[in-house]
Amino acid sequence: MSLFGTSSGFGTGGTGVFGSTTTDSHNPMKDVEVTSPPDDSISCLAFSPPTMPGNFLIGGSWANDVRCWEVQDNGQTVPKAQQMHTGPVLDACWSDDGSKVFTASCDKTAKMWDLNSNQAIQIAQHDGPIKAIHWIKAPNYSCIMTGSWDKTLKFWDTRSPNPMMSLQMPERCYCADVVYPMAVVATAERGLIVYQLENQPSEFRRIESPLKHQHRCVAIFKDKQNKPTGFALGSIEGRVAIHYINPPNPAKDNFTFKCHRSNGTNTTTPQDIYAVNAIAFHPVHGTLATVGSDGRFSFWDKDARTKLKTSEQLDQPITACCFNHNGNIFAYASSYDWSKGHEYYNPQKKNYIFLRNAAEELKPRNKKW
Amino acid sequence: MGRKKKKQMKPWCWYCNRDFDDEKILIQHQKAKHFKCHICHKKLYTGPGLAIHCMQVHKETIDGVPNAIPGRIDIELEIYGMEGIPEKDMEERRRMLEQKNQETQKKKQNQDDSDEYDDDDEPGPSFQQPAARQPQAGYVPPMTQPGMLPVGSGTPALPPGSYSGIPPMMPGVPPMIPATPPVMPGMPPGMIPMGGMMPPMMPGVPPGIPPPMGTRPAITHMPQLPPAAGVLPRPAVPAGPSVQPDVTKPLFPSAGQSQQTVSGSPHTPPSTTSDLAKPTFPAYTQSSTGLASPNAGSSTVSKPPSTVTSKPATLTTSSATSKLIHPDEDISLEEFRAQLSQYQCSIPRQGQTTSAAASVGGMMAPQQHSMRHPIPGQYGGPQQGMPGYIPGRIPPYIQAPPVVPPVYQGGPPRPTIVTRPPVMSPGGHY
Repeated sequence: MSLFGTSSGFGTGGTGVFGSTTTDSHNPMKDVEVTSPPDDSISCLAFSPPTMPGNFLIGGSWANDVRCWEVQDNGQTVPKAQQMHTGPVLDACWSDDGSKVFTASCDKTAKMWDLNSNQAIQIAQHDGPIKAIHWIKAPNYSCIMTGSWDKTLKFWDTRSPNPMMSLQMPERCYCADVVYPMAVVATAERGLIVYQLENQPSEFRRIESPLKHQHRCVAIFKDKQNKPTGFALGSIEGRVAIHYINPPNPAKDNFTFKCHRSNGTNTTTPQDIYAVNAIAFHPVHGTLATVGSDGRFSFWDKDARTKLKTSEQLDQPITACCFNHNGNIFAYASSYDWSKGHEYYNPQKKNYIFLRNAAEELKPRNKKW
Repeated sequence: MGRKKKKQMKPWCWYCNRDFDDEKILIQHQKAKHFKCHICHKKLYTGPGLAIHCMQVHKETIDGVPNAIPGRIDIELEIYGMEGIPEKDMEERRRMLEQKNQETQKKKQNQDDSDEYDDDDEPGPSFQQPAARQPQAGYVPPMTQPGMLPVGSGTPALPPGSYSGIPPMMPGVPPMIPATPPVMPGMPPGMIPMGGMMPPMMPGVPPGIPPPMGTRPAITHMPQLPPAAGVLPRPAVPAGPSVQPDVTKPLFPSAGQSQQTVSGSPHTPPSTTSDLAKPTFPAYTQSSTGLASPNAGSSTVSKPPSTVTSKPATLTTSSATSKLIHPDEDISLEEFRAQLSQYQCSIPRQGQTTSAAASVGGMMAPQQHSMRHPIPGQYGGPQQGMPGYIPGRIPPYIQAPPVVPPVYQGGPPRPTIVTRPPVMSPGGHY
C-alpha cells in the first residue's frame, strides 16, 4: 500500500530532504523535496494518469527543460529522464495512456515525448510562445490542444504537421484547462471562452469575466456525476472566481473569494495582494488547492465555501501545483515567478518541488462531495 | 423638500464619494464601511466614535477612516450621513455635479444616435464622477458593494468594466439587509455579479455579450442585494452542495449546434431568503477583515474582453489600502519574463540546422551565442514572430537542436539523458 495513502511517517522515507534538520523557510511545511529539481523557475507540474502504474511527475521549467521523476511509495523521488526545448517550457501534459508527455515552450513549438523510447518530436508550431497544452481524448478523436500568445487555439493530430483546426481567440492565451467535453481558455484582457469538444472542438460561449483583474490560471471542476460543470478562475489580484456553466441560480451559485493576501490588520498599512499562480482540484474530493506569489498554498471547499487550510509562508512564490491521479499526493513548486520584477531574481537561489500527503487535508468540510 | 442645505443633491458619502438614493442607506453604508471596527466588527456611528472605541476596547489607535479615499480619511471629522460635511467639500461636490450635468446635456444635444455612449453616461454621477475624479481607492470595490451602485444610480446600465454584469438592482431595494453577522467582507456578493452573467432565462443571448444591461430585469430573483450595509449575506449554499440539483441536464445542449444558452431547467428555484444568515467562507475572515476591497488595478485593466490592445497598458498596482504584488505592465508574468534577453530562444536560422546538429552534445556555447545575436528584441513578446523564422515552414519533425542545454546561465552542463530525435518524413509513424 502506498505510503502516500497513509499519514504515517511521511518525512522519514524522504531522501529529498538533504539531511537538513532545521526548517528554514524554504520548506516550512516540512514536505518531501523532490531530488534534482530544475535549475530555473518551474512553470508547470503534472502527474501521470491512472492508466499507468505508479506515480510519475513531470515538471517544465524556465531552464528550457522538462524533467520526469518517479515518485515511489516510500516517498523517494528518482529522476528518470529529461528533454529540452530551445526556450523556456511553459506547460506540459500527459496523454491519457501515460505513454507520452506533451510539452509547450516559448520556442513556439510543442513536442511529444515518448517516454519509452525517450525520444521527442515536434508536433505543433505557432507564431508565438505556446502557453497551454492539453491532451483531448474524445470518443471519436484524440488530439492536442495548444493555446498560444499568438491568439490562436490550435488542435493537432500528432501525426500531421498541420493543425486539424485553428480557432481565433480575442487575445493571447494565458491559461486553459480541459475536461472532456469542456475546455476553458482565459486570455489577456480578461477574456474567457468556453469550448465544447464533442464531435469537434467549437467555441461554446464567451463569458464576461467574473474577475476584475488579469486572468492567471483556470481549472475545471466536475459535479457529482463526474461531468465538468464549471471552473475556478484565478487572477493576479489574489482572488478566485467559482463559476458554473449552467447553474440553476447564477446569482447564488457563482461567487468569488479572496486569497493570497497579507493580513492587513492595520487599516493604514496597505494590504499586499498576490497573484494566484495555479489552481488544482482534488480528483476525489472535489476540493481545490490554490498557490500564490505569496509563497503559500491553501486548500478550499467550494461547496461549503470554507477554507480548509493555509500553509506557512515559503520564502519564494509557489509557481505550480498538481494532484496525482488518486489525490494522495499534492505537488507544489517553489520558485520565483517574477512578481516583483527583475530585481528580485536570484539565479543562485534553489528551486524546489515539494510533495505532500493530500489524502486527509482536502476532505470536504461537511457533506461528502 | 427637507432642509435646503442638504437636499439639493442626492445623499453622498464624504469618505468615498459614492451616491445614494436615501440618507438612511447612506448611513448604513457609512456604518458598515467606514465606521466599522476592524477588530471586532462593531459598527459605530461616527469616525471619532470608531477611534474612541478602538482605543478603549482594543487599546489600538487607528490613523484613518477605513475604506476612505485619500484626502478623506480624517478620523476626527464628525460626519454622520450628510451632516458634518465641510462646506467647501459640499461646494466642490455641487460643482462636479453641475459639470457632469452640463457635459451630459451637451452630449445629448450633439449626438443624434445616442446609443452607445449615452447609455453608459446616464447612470449618472455616481459612476462617472468618482471614476473621473480620482483613482478609485475604495470606490469601486470589485465585488463587495454591487448593491450600492445600482441603488445609487437607479439605472441598470453600467459602465463597462466597473461592475461587469451586475444586474440592475431594482431601485428601491429597500434596506432589508438582514443584519447578518459580521460577515467576511471578503465574501463578496460574487453572486450578484455572477447572476448577471449567465442568466439561464435568457435564451438566445449570444455569447460574449457585453453587459447587456437592458435585459437584466428578468432576473427578478435577485434577492436582497447586499445592500447598503455592504454586508454580504450571500445565501451561502445551505448545508452542502445542494446547488447542483440532481437534474442532469446536458452541459452543452447539442454538440453540433451553436450556442444556445442552455436553459435546460428554467425553473429558478425560488431563491430562498431563508439562507441569508449563513456567512460564506467563514474561515476566511482572518485574511480580509477590515478591508472591504483592495480594489487595486481597476484602471485600464478592466475592459470588456473583446477589446484588443496592442500596446501594453499599465495596471494601477497600488491604492490607499492595498498593493498588488505585480509589475506595472498589464502583461502576464511569463510575458514579462520572456522578454528578457536571457530567455531568448536560441532557434537557429534554417541554414544553421545541420551545423548545429553536428556538434550536438558538445559545448554549443560559442555557436549558441552567435546564434543569439541575430535575434535581438523580444522573443517572448506577444506581438511578433521570430525574425528570420518563417512560421509554418519548418520542415516537419526535424528537430532544431533541442539537445543543447541552454547556456544562458553559463552553468555547468547538466547530466542529460537526452537523445537526438529521429528525423521523420511527414506522415510517418514514430
